[in-house]
Amino acid sequence: MSLQVDGAARGGADVPSGGGGGGDGARRRPRSRVRGRPQLYTSYAADQAIWNTPAKRAWTLALVAAVLVLPFLLSRDLTSLLTTVFIFAIGGIGLNLITGYAGQVSLGHAFFMGLGAYTAAVFGGESTDRVVGLGLDMAIWLPLAGIVPAVVGLVVAPLAARVRGLYLAILTLGLVFIGEHVFKEARSITGGAGVGRAPAEPVLFGVDLSGRYHLFGYILSREDVFYFVCFAIFLVMAIAARNLTRSKLGRAFAAVRDRDVAAAVMGVSLRRTKTLAFTISSFYAGIAGALLVLVIGRVTPTSWNLFLSIDFLAVILIGGIATISGSILGAMFVVLMPRLVSELADVVPFISTSPGTGVFSVFQLQTMLFGALIVLFLVLEPRGLYGLWVRARNYWKAWPFSH
Amino acid sequence: MNTTAATTGETWRTIPHRIRTWADRQPDRVCLREKRFGIWQDITWREYWDNAQLVAHGLAALGVGAGDRVGIHSENRPEWLYTDVGCVAIRAISVGLYSTNPPAEVAYLLRDSGARVLIAEDQEQVDKALAVEDQCPDLEWIVYLEPRGVREYTNPKLLHWPDFIERGRAHQAEHPTLLDDATAAAGPDDVVTLIYTSGTTGPPKGAMLTVRNVSFATDVLGGGPGLYDPAPRESDVTLSYLPLCHVVERAATIWVNAAAGTTVHFAESIDTVVANLREVQPTLFFGVPRIWEKIHAGIQIRMSSASRVKRLAYRVGRALADRIADDIVRHEGRRSVRAKLLYALGYPLLFRALRDRIGLRKVRACGSGAAPIAPEVLRFFFGIGVVIREAYGMTENSAVATGNRGARVKLGTVGEAHEGTEVRLDDDTGEIMTRHPGNFAGYWNKPDKTVEVLDADGWLRTGDVGEWVDGTHLKIVDRIKDVIITAGGKNIAPSEIENALKTSPFIKEAVVVGDRQPYLTALIGIELETVGNWAQRRRLTYTTYRDLIEKREVLELIQGVIKQVNADFARVEQVRKFRTFPKELDHDDGELTATQKVKRATLHDRFGDLIDDMYGGTTKFAGGDLAQVHTPASSEVPA
Repeated sequence: MSLQVDGAARGGADVPSGGGGGGDGARRRPRSRVRGRPQLYTSYAADQAIWNTPAKRAWTLALVAAVLVLPFLLSRDLTSLLTTVFIFAIGGIGLNLITGYAGQVSLGHAFFMGLGAYTAAVFGGESTDRVVGLGLDMAIWLPLAGIVPAVVGLVVAPLAARVRGLYLAILTLGLVFIGEHVFKEARSITGGAGVGRAPAEPVLFGVDLSGRYHLFGYILSREDVFYFVCFAIFLVMAIAARNLTRSKLGRAFAAVRDRDVAAAVMGVSLRRTKTLAFTISSFYAGIAGALLVLVIGRVTPTSWNLFLSIDFLAVILIGGIATISGSILGAMFVVLMPRLVSELADVVPFISTSPGTGVFSVFQLQTMLFGALIVLFLVLEPRGLYGLWVRARNYWKAWPFSH
Repeated sequence: MNTTAATTGETWRTIPHRIRTWADRQPDRVCLREKRFGIWQDITWREYWDNAQLVAHGLAALGVGAGDRVGIHSENRPEWLYTDVGCVAIRAISVGLYSTNPPAEVAYLLRDSGARVLIAEDQEQVDKALAVEDQCPDLEWIVYLEPRGVREYTNPKLLHWPDFIERGRAHQAEHPTLLDDATAAAGPDDVVTLIYTSGTTGPPKGAMLTVRNVSFATDVLGGGPGLYDPAPRESDVTLSYLPLCHVVERAATIWVNAAAGTTVHFAESIDTVVANLREVQPTLFFGVPRIWEKIHAGIQIRMSSASRVKRLAYRVGRALADRIADDIVRHEGRRSVRAKLLYALGYPLLFRALRDRIGLRKVRACGSGAAPIAPEVLRFFFGIGVVIREAYGMTENSAVATGNRGARVKLGTVGEAHEGTEVRLDDDTGEIMTRHPGNFAGYWNKPDKTVEVLDADGWLRTGDVGEWVDGTHLKIVDRIKDVIITAGGKNIAPSEIENALKTSPFIKEAVVVGDRQPYLTALIGIELETVGNWAQRRRLTYTTYRDLIEKREVLELIQGVIKQVNADFARVEQVRKFRTFPKELDHDDGELTATQKVKRATLHDRFGDLIDDMYGGTTKFAGGDLAQVHTPASSEVPA
């Protein structure tokens, strides 16, 4: 990533220099922006930086600080839920890379997540009489959980690169069905239908992450440790994705999305671009899958189904197509909304918490809200939650003008 | 460090001398920034001075010596400064040409000045010079800065800037003492530049400014509270956007920078000034009235299309601003506690954001000059915390005469005399006269014109009629030649009425007519952008400028503005009738000077039909009186 080198604090144009004597010193410091003038760029690095204004930088830091403090204030189950948000965000970013940025509709996300989860389980899980497991360290199984789905993505990509639109959707849908079947049958790897297997052991560099730790007088529970680890992984992957989208490849993605023929005419290799999109997206999906089972625990092979894929489509549709921040917002929404609805159920009388009583059950309401929101977002704000944010920001940015 | 002329004991320092001093003291501090390829590129004092030296040597290599003229035909950019400074360093004379000058004027200026070398910016300027090449026998070299389109030209006079610089480098190696020798030979009466007057009444005249003139002006305008009050400092940031061949921008860019060490930013072009202002957020800003009017009109237009909530916020903010403005005017430029409180109230709501959008958020001193500005416009900017100080000066006195300073601002005046400046009014005519070391040496090759304005005692006749306000502040009535004497024998200053009309965002040009006539009339030109926007919101379709200005609704709009303005004037000063210009006035067509001032004589001549139409009582052309409007009876185009 290319952040701006900020030497402006010393010797910016509006800082009076020493006056008479020796001037500013013999060496010329590289400066890319002038303090107090956020739009005065004196280098391309500053112009193109992710955090190109001091306000953005300050808010990002504040947000990270808030996220780091949260587990000390929240109950364990909420901490766990937020961990799920990070993992969904990783998966959402992966899907956004291929569907949002590169414009290739993929319903096969669940398959790659499952693949990641089982790769992790095989390399990092305990070996029992029913399933195989190598019991390796997380530093080994976590990258592998990304690499193996990426390789499978690479193998599938030449097929997928030949079709687009609906045909691609059907093709990737096929992946989910094949995957579900294989997962059910490969008992020694997945534990088989209805049984499942234990996830990989979260031992990172020999440190058991499922233990309790003491930090500055606080006791860090297993959930807290997971929270921080997942947040760190999420942060790295999100920034990597953001930089990817600003790179040559990211622009190639967008070119292919906007019009593949035009992109090809401009010299963008369609096959290469689409293949890379599939591969990178599968990598993200694999990591998300491996981490997700760590939080949820034992899952049956049938969980990696079409509905999970659709959940992720909802993440990027509600969050915002082709934005990294949108994927994060969408993940928050999709993960936290069910919880919010069930909290509401205690307050609002006509929602029942158990099926069969009341007007709606919580689960019915969740599903209906989900569907309704996707429809509403598509109609009213196709750019999703991120689009709403952009609107609000532009409103104040132009103040007191309207444009 | 000062060089003292032994005979008089006066002190003077040339601009190259000052640049060199900065380069010695702070070689690595940024002094100029130029936006190229989307990025503001830094130029340090060392680079500035090195380049100026190379240009000096380059010119010497081309055969330019003491007293030779070098033309510069370019928009504002560092090379302009290098050339100007380089010229003075070898005692040559720089001559600025407006980038809008058409070929005929380029020919006149090159011939009149006898320039041997011309620095031309791009293909456009090179083409103009080549078109009139045979009329300019003295022109030996044309150095072009932008090679695009010029590379294929085979004219032997053409030289690309980098090659020119290389010649300078070679020359520097051979003659390392050239500049020191030139410096030793320099005297205070060396002419350093010819600044051509805009020529509203006749062909432009080249005013000769000497080392002494520039040194005095630099000290007054750049070193003290002359152009800006408070005085400029090293930490200040400016934007260079007005033509450098005009004395005001020369002062604001080169002289202030050399005197105070400010950081100058070059706007990409006159069209990007608004965007560049926002990026640069200068701390010092000098505008001509046209610029202030444009910013003012731009705000009004953008607010009129803003959402309801934002319009409400603006209205509330403006109500505060009006009170603040009144307060500041009453306290003569000082912010009272009440004004400060009101400002603090409006700051988060409107002022901070508004000033940020127009690029004046960090401005701490700003001025207006070169033409009269309407008090309403000043009031508006006072209200949002931008206290514009009107100043007065002209090419012939190196832009040094008077300025509103400190907490002694009087609205409607151009302030008090600068330090070391004598100002008096002619007893008979009321003409303003100034005397100080900045008074120019005379017009180039026109001694007859020189004696008309410069008398034996060293007094300069400015050609402006003025009067004293409270004994200290000078108020400009008008140009002597422009004062209208009606058939009733009443003296009227048209510029005051014209400026009041131009305060309206819809009106770009207003020319009041009425010399030896029973009543006043006006020729009106509209601001295409704002009226176009206004028409769009009324779903009024139009095609061209002429189509728009001859619409009944637009005529009624103009009529409304005139009626409103008339209310503030005495009966004899009221405009009774108006006609509209069928075209936008243009420099190329000789209707405006390069500085966008109207050439009255040309207009009276060219649009005489419109004037006759008004005083003849006919309605052949689009226009109207205070009761009704009419579209043209025929589609006849005047002249």
